[in-house]
Amino acid sequence: MQRYLLSRVIQSIMLMFGVLILVFFLVRLTGDPARIMMPRDASPADIEAFRDAMGFNEPLPAQFFHFMTGALQGDFGRSLHYRAPAMRIVLERMPATIELSLAALVFALIVAIPLGVIGGSRPGTTWDTVCRAVGLVGQTVPNFWLALMMISLFSVTLGWFPTFGRGGFGSIVLPAVALGLFPLGKFTRLVRSAVLEVRNEDYVRTAYSKGLLDHRVYTHHIFLNVSVTLVSIVGVQFGYLLGGSIYIETIFAWPGVGRMINEAVQARDFPLVQALAFVSAAFIVLLNLLTDLAYVLIDPRIRYED
Amino acid sequence: MNTLHTKWKGPTLLLALSALVLLFFACGQAETTEPEIVTLRVAVPTFPNSLDASVAAERNAQNVSWQLFDSLVWANEQNVIEPALAERWDVSEDGREYTFFLREGVDFHNGEPFNADAVVFSWERGIQPHIEWSDRWARAESVERVDEYTVRISTAEPDPLLLGVMAQHWNMVPPLYTQEVGDDGFGAAPVGTGPFQFVEWVREDRVVLERNDSYWREGLPLVDRVVFRPIPESSTRMAAIQTGEIDIVNRLSFEQADALERVNDVDVVTYPIDRVFYIAFNNLTTGIDQPTMDPRVRRAMNYAVDRQAIIDSLFGGRAQLSTGLMTSSNLGYDPSVEPFPFDPDRARELLAEAGYPDGFEIGFAAPAGAYTNFEQVAEAVQGYLAEVGIVTDLDIIESGRFWDLEAEKQLPPLFGDSWSERSGESLPRLRGALGGWDASFSAWSDPVIDDLLDRISVTIDQDERAALYRELHRYMQDDPPFIYLYVPETFEAVRSNVRDYIPRAAEDYFLMFTSLD
Repeated sequence: MQRYLLSRVIQSIMLMFGVLILVFFLVRLTGDPARIMMPRDASPADIEAFRDAMGFNEPLPAQFFHFMTGALQGDFGRSLHYRAPAMRIVLERMPATIELSLAALVFALIVAIPLGVIGGSRPGTTWDTVCRAVGLVGQTVPNFWLALMMISLFSVTLGWFPTFGRGGFGSIVLPAVALGLFPLGKFTRLVRSAVLEVRNEDYVRTAYSKGLLDHRVYTHHIFLNVSVTLVSIVGVQFGYLLGGSIYIETIFAWPGVGRMINEAVQARDFPLVQALAFVSAAFIVLLNLLTDLAYVLIDPRIRYED
Repeated sequence: MNTLHTKWKGPTLLLALSALVLLFFACGQAETTEPEIVTLRVAVPTFPNSLDASVAAERNAQNVSWQLFDSLVWANEQNVIEPALAERWDVSEDGREYTFFLREGVDFHNGEPFNADAVVFSWERGIQPHIEWSDRWARAESVERVDEYTVRISTAEPDPLLLGVMAQHWNMVPPLYTQEVGDDGFGAAPVGTGPFQFVEWVREDRVVLERNDSYWREGLPLVDRVVFRPIPESSTRMAAIQTGEIDIVNRLSFEQADALERVNDVDVVTYPIDRVFYIAFNNLTTGIDQPTMDPRVRRAMNYAVDRQAIIDSLFGGRAQLSTGLMTSSNLGYDPSVEPFPFDPDRARELLAEAGYPDGFEIGFAAPAGAYTNFEQVAEAVQGYLAEVGIVTDLDIIESGRFWDLEAEKQLPPLFGDSWSERSGESLPRLRGALGGWDASFSAWSDPVIDDLLDRISVTIDQDERAALYRELHRYMQDDPPFIYLYVPETFEAVRSNVRDYIPRAAEDYFLMFTSLD
């Protein structure tokens, strides 16, 4: 187990290295930041002087060396657009994105789990139809459309929630519901089909034949087995959500990293894009690691042998 | 029945847990309101990158920033230069030397005195190449202290735009504080002499300013607080003005403005902005040896496009036809210059005269996602040109890539774009778009235009300059370097209790005059 853990950590670190290298070269394919930053009527000489001052005229290998040595010490350089340390700006935005992602995830789970269990345990009934409909709608309705519709109904017409911004419980409801819709659909379908599958397993039949009550079979035999599948998908989804949602954060003016990604790319803010990509990748790698470890806790059949 | 009841235990637990988590968020942030303070809430569509006007990257960041600062001079709504931190000034005979007499007894928000040293310091900071607007500061060759309240500013050549540029870009900063906190610190917590002073900036969420009680313009500002909230999505801005969460919103679409006209308690504000849309020709690189080198062909292409139909169908009729790359608010705009009428027969005649009775083929590019409906405009132009036999190969390119190609002068011989200007004169725009190899985004060079622009840029006398502009305006109609398209209107909305919100053609505004009923 320890050796497994160690090798996974080393793999993750190497992966992050790869991400750094890839991002460094990819952002430089997008073009020249100096032209976007300088006034449109600036002369070619002015732009050149600015480029010099910002260090864009150094040879690429030198820029790469500076970037890597800095990044290893946690210094991702200064954001060109915001004129401040890039990593600090990203970390300042993370709490808002984490808060919204958690709220969306919680919303998705509290609706999806009961719905999926009911649907899966009573296939073909009205409940099951509702369950399948929610799964389908959740995964197919575009969340930005839903977000605009909800603002129009709940904020403008009914006045129940604020239209935009972060502050107070009310402000998170609409963005969390809009953002949680897709994972909600996904989880509902997943739980339903997992319950359907597990119900027919031998150990469930055995449990019933031992004379166990329905609820005990569900909590101890069915749901625990379903949760293995659920945990893996929740981990992945949470990772995606933490990358920030460009649409939802933009529509609700939610001060997270999602809407910053769009701006950073538009402004060709290389240091900021690099820091954002690194942080998002780090979260996904970390969550994958945690998911793998969670399996061991939930399912005694899974053992990582040395 | 019992079984059905108990199997819910697991999910119920989860539900309770979730409720707890939600409760945690609920308790985390409670907003307090202070009813006695008059607060003006303004939505901006982008997030300010810095609150230092010399580094603020675009119009909205500049608008937030300039509530905190003053320059030596100020441009009023008619774009006439008025005294600000300088009470008056003298200009030398040759027009190259300005002596400014500064207002005495003005303090920065942190208590530092405003004087000649502050002016010199601000300029020395502004001209450093890493400052984004350094070329605006560098219009002055030197800034010297004469005595505590007198500075002498000189330029290499007479510069008729100097005062205008100073009004728009020279934010006066306090030397001690700025040196102490550095450029970053200053951008995050700026100190000026302006009508409002900085309170807090929660990045991406809000900028809070409060009244400068000892402002030198007596009786101003009229509200206690201003809160800027960045809302990037225009549908959300529209919702926020309807619910009253915001008092002023800008950059709405005309459809949204139409819808808001019918809403109680909301007033729509509409005005033409100082931005011109055009299809440019190229005579420097890709356009050499193309039919468009012939002025008759370029005139024909102006006749061929029904611009009014484009304005009517894509902008609800709410834009103005443009001529000469100038807008009606610019100095020297000649209203007697008629826009090209839609006349495809005349276009065919001119093409035949130029030797292209059957038309020709030519490359055409436009930026994607950069401007409202501009892709559709380009497609409409393509259609109209095809009607007179000019077949274009339209390439709609991602805007960042498009502007790179434009700066490298590697776009096709026809390309669509737009150009805004905030100085109130069209000179920077004309220089930028027609300056040939000396201008980053120009694909056109014409000695007649160069000569007129050279004369305009050193002529101090307003009337003489206006006359030169008129001459240029007419010339650019006879030998057009563009297919002129339109000057757009912009759509904003305010709550009905907002008084004296006066945005200008450059989409800038000063909230010191604005009040709430």
